[in-house]
Amino acid sequence: MSIVPKETIEVIAQSIGIANLSPDVALALAPDVEYRLREIMQEAIKCMRHSKRTVLTADDVDSALSLRNVEPLYGFASGDPLRFKRAVGHKDLFYIDDKDVDLKDVINAPLPKAPLDTGVVAHWLAIEGVQPAIPENAPVEAIVAPSEIKRSEHSKEDGLPVDIKLPVKHVLSRELQLYFDKITALIVSRSDSILFKEALESLATDSGLHPLVPYFSYFIADEISRSLNDLPLLFALMRVVRSLLRNPHIHIEPYLHQLMPSMITCIVAKRLGHRIADNHWELRDFAANLVASVCRRFGHVYHNLQYRLTRTLLNAFLDPSKAMTQHYGAIQGLAALGTSVVRVLILPQLETYMQLLEPEMQLEKQKNEMKRKEAWHVYGALMCAAGKCLYERVKLFPSLLHPPTRQLWRSNGRVATKMPNKRKASTSHLLQQPPLKKLAADGPVSSIPPISMPTSMQVAADGFPTPSESGIRPSSSTGQLSNESISGGSRKERSGGKAPTPSTVLAQAWKEDLDAGHLLASLFELFGEGILSFIQPPEMSFFL
Amino acid sequence: MEEEELQKAVYAYLRKKGFRQTELVLQEEQNRLSSSAQSDLAVSRLDNDPARYHDGYSKLRSWAYSSLDLYKHELLRVLYPVFIHCFMDLVAEEHMQEARTFFHTFREDHELMHLRDLQKLEGILSPSHLEEMELARSLRQNKVKIKLCEYSYDLLLQYLQKTQSVTMLGIINEHINFEVSAGQPSSISDDVDVVALVGSSQDIAKQINQKEVRWGLLEDSVEERLERPVSDSEKPEGENKEVDPEDSKQKRSVEGGKQGVSVKKLKKDKLVGATGKNIRSETSTVSIAPRVKPELTLPVMTTEVEQSILEDLRNRVQLSSLALPSISFYTFINAHNSLNCSSISHDGSLVAGGFSDSSLKVWDMSKIGRPTKTSNSQGENESVESEHLLGLEEGKRSYTLFQGHAGPVYSATFSPFGDFLLSSSSDSTIRLWSTKLNSNLVCYKGHNYPVWDVQFSPVGHYFASCSHDRTARIWSMERIQPLRIMAGHLSDVDCVQWHANCNYIATGSSDKTVRLWDVQSGECVRIFIGHRSMVLSLAMSPDGRYMASGDEDGTIMMWDLSSGRCVSPLMGHNSCVWTLAFSCEGTLLASGSADCTVKLWDVTASMKVPRMEENKASSTNRLRLLKALPTKSTPVYTLRFSRRNLLFAAGGLSKQA
Repeated sequence: MSIVPKETIEVIAQSIGIANLSPDVALALAPDVEYRLREIMQEAIKCMRHSKRTVLTADDVDSALSLRNVEPLYGFASGDPLRFKRAVGHKDLFYIDDKDVDLKDVINAPLPKAPLDTGVVAHWLAIEGVQPAIPENAPVEAIVAPSEIKRSEHSKEDGLPVDIKLPVKHVLSRELQLYFDKITALIVSRSDSILFKEALESLATDSGLHPLVPYFSYFIADEISRSLNDLPLLFALMRVVRSLLRNPHIHIEPYLHQLMPSMITCIVAKRLGHRIADNHWELRDFAANLVASVCRRFGHVYHNLQYRLTRTLLNAFLDPSKAMTQHYGAIQGLAALGTSVVRVLILPQLETYMQLLEPEMQLEKQKNEMKRKEAWHVYGALMCAAGKCLYERVKLFPSLLHPPTRQLWRSNGRVATKMPNKRKASTSHLLQQPPLKKLAADGPVSSIPPISMPTSMQVAADGFPTPSESGIRPSSSTGQLSNESISGGSRKERSGGKAPTPSTVLAQAWKEDLDAGHLLASLFELFGEGILSFIQPPEMSFFL
Repeated sequence: MEEEELQKAVYAYLRKKGFRQTELVLQEEQNRLSSSAQSDLAVSRLDNDPARYHDGYSKLRSWAYSSLDLYKHELLRVLYPVFIHCFMDLVAEEHMQEARTFFHTFREDHELMHLRDLQKLEGILSPSHLEEMELARSLRQNKVKIKLCEYSYDLLLQYLQKTQSVTMLGIINEHINFEVSAGQPSSISDDVDVVALVGSSQDIAKQINQKEVRWGLLEDSVEERLERPVSDSEKPEGENKEVDPEDSKQKRSVEGGKQGVSVKKLKKDKLVGATGKNIRSETSTVSIAPRVKPELTLPVMTTEVEQSILEDLRNRVQLSSLALPSISFYTFINAHNSLNCSSISHDGSLVAGGFSDSSLKVWDMSKIGRPTKTSNSQGENESVESEHLLGLEEGKRSYTLFQGHAGPVYSATFSPFGDFLLSSSSDSTIRLWSTKLNSNLVCYKGHNYPVWDVQFSPVGHYFASCSHDRTARIWSMERIQPLRIMAGHLSDVDCVQWHANCNYIATGSSDKTVRLWDVQSGECVRIFIGHRSMVLSLAMSPDGRYMASGDEDGTIMMWDLSSGRCVSPLMGHNSCVWTLAFSCEGTLLASGSADCTVKLWDVTASMKVPRMEENKASSTNRLRLLKALPTKSTPVYTLRFSRRNLLFAAGGLSKQA
């Protein structure tokens, strides 16, 4: 009948030493106990309200008890909220977790830090009704409009006279307006000054910029669509985008749809900049990395973001009618998205594409110096992408250091250094590569014709029988089973594909290996020795 | 058996003596007695069957729910009182088990409207509880008034007669007064009456609310005086001359003794009018609000204070729905959840916090935090600033610590000119502190229970307090006994507020009503019914016409003092409304809540809402909410408009939010 069962009363009676409480008494007491409990809670809630709190504390209950002239409960006034634990095996039985404390420990423990003294700080919650964007205030609502719309819809549902809603006014404070004007002026006119660097820093760190984001994103989109000829400006804009993306206080997601097209334009536009000397390659790389970082950050929120991006890029890449510059951008964009994208999307097309590209690169077929240069750029980018992909694949193999590798590396280096001055012009664009790789990438230029498929196979085949390696080659997946027979067998399989495998697991592992081998082979076929520079010395030695 | 033998003996005796007549009469009487006893027994057996409540109510309920749509909501209104009285009858007859099952079976029907009452009633488990609980008692004692249209009433009567449900009829007769009106049934949204089923009899409330409330502003207020200097601002040298004689007159009137002040003032006013200072009479006609005379003897302002007020009034920013105020927010940090209340002086230079560790701390904001404060507050607080360094000598504390209370401090209030501070505590005392001397001046003992709130009157000197002992009291600073005790609330009096003309105080209570009391007579002159939970905050409009009250659920209600009616409920907050403040011209209402927002409401728009639309509050509310300003997880404890219409807010940073 009452929420306090009579068993509870009996238990409490026993705990205070009344052993033989008659059931009638318990039954009669139970309702009254409940009533008193409710009464005390009612008073405690009053105390809570007058302490301007919405959470009931043990102090409130104590005050309520003293209001009723009852002795307060001792031992609960810890200040912290009490932690209740569920009794094992009971659904709705809780107890307070009360640990035994050794007095010695308490005495010996160093004094805790004195709590900070209460203080009062002042800030502007609103200035003439507008909330300034300062860290003391709650972050400004990103978009006010939807709720307004919802409201008006709601009022319509009510079937009431429709109130005319004024268009939503987004009031921008004077300071923010000034800031915006300054920044945009800097972007347009003096993007090489130190001041601009500081502006970028400010954009990346300032907490109060949120209200400006829509204006910035509109400005960026607008400027990019208007001035594709002005390379420094485009660069400055991309840097602004990067700063905005980096700012932790900005909630940029709602504006991505406006920024993404601008960024993609900077990757795959046909012409960027109006002079031949303009280094638009660099801008494309920069924008590609930017887009990739956006994908990494928001990819989980917008599932189709990366899909749409790759589709756009792939279309640009696969369309033979597009200019070489566009192809370059597409490759860089895809490469920046990661090696798996390259593997899935670029590598299958590689062979056909190379057939298309090769004539463009050759002096005798493509007379236009400019076009040829572009083709070489594309070639470099493609190789870079493929090489990185290969590098990732190969990295799965154990790293091992071996004296022979160095020798090989040297020889490779020798190949590279043979023609350092031949294609200097094309080296400049591959900034992100270490110099050696860069040189190596240029290396094959002259050596493609002589190196052919058989030789590469031969090189690979040459590498296998080296007995010194077999013992020390624990693959990542076969780690513990790295004895000679297995590796020997698998090696055989790889070279010949005929030897039986000890287990399917191993087979799978070596299949991967095999893939890599094939990959290497095919890439080698396409790019020549240059591709080898992407394989780290140890792995390289393993292949050779 | 013995009785029968006795009877036989009596009969035998009568027969022997030959009293034939007497024997017959006796026999007849005996028969009648026994038969009536039998029939009584039968009736009472029927009556005592606890199931009849359940049956009767469930039949009535299903009938009401299946009644005609047009009349349904009126008939449904009858159900709630019947329900609670059935329950209480069952309890009174000690059918606990049945009462419980009955309550739980039908509880859901009424949860939407009466959740809080139900929670309270749920706890009633024995007849003694009925006596003890004030809500139950008042429900039992008073009749509920329900408005029905003629036809619904007929329907109900027909049903009750046809089904012979005597129990239900009994309950309805006993506890419900029907107010039958001819014509169409009332609209659904008039349910306010049902909500008001909180115990206090509607009739009494109605009767009380018929009394006259003179809500006009005081004559000869400072604001009025302001209008003169403004009107002849071309010749500022004349301004001083005009103010000065005023003051000398006032001083004279003080010398004339307290009793005579109001009389003398009156005379003085006449004198002023007679001497032909036309400007004065002109300005008083400008404002529409009627003027009233003060019922209390008012303290006298010093010239400097008046000058500073006039200066402030001249520099006041005009606020409206288009010109919103600036808000300066004071955040209490590291308060460790022990901050109970805060108060801000009129110019925002002093901030007081009352803590649950019995301490009261005062910060001088002109010294810390913001050396370059707004120019206006710097000008305002010069007088306060002087010699205030005393408190800072003890350690590096940024505040002045006032110790004296022996329990959590629940309320603090600055005097209008910032030189005194009052605090009330759970030790049932109120203490007066001097912010200049940094010491306790007086301890007022009078309440018997924790004092929830204390407020200085708009002119200072007097203050009002309210307590858990269900009373509100009026005090003056110089006496340690209260001047008036206002008793009448059915539960704790949780908040108190002065009317702008100092002749009335309003109190909000846990009994969900707000009452208005005449300070001079101590009578209750208005009862405002409509809140659905404990009233936590009150504010009076500066023109004295309206009052706003905020409750535990986040509802704010705007009341018209003269009619005692709710002008409009303002919904928007979703947690306790801790504080309310009107802007100085009364155009805006600011509310601060536990949901960590400050909301600004347009008062003028809410007043203009035509009567027709009032019921459809949901849409009009939204229009009236001008701005919601969220804080960073800081519940807003106090709001205060400075005389220049700068809004100050204070709250304690809470980490859990």
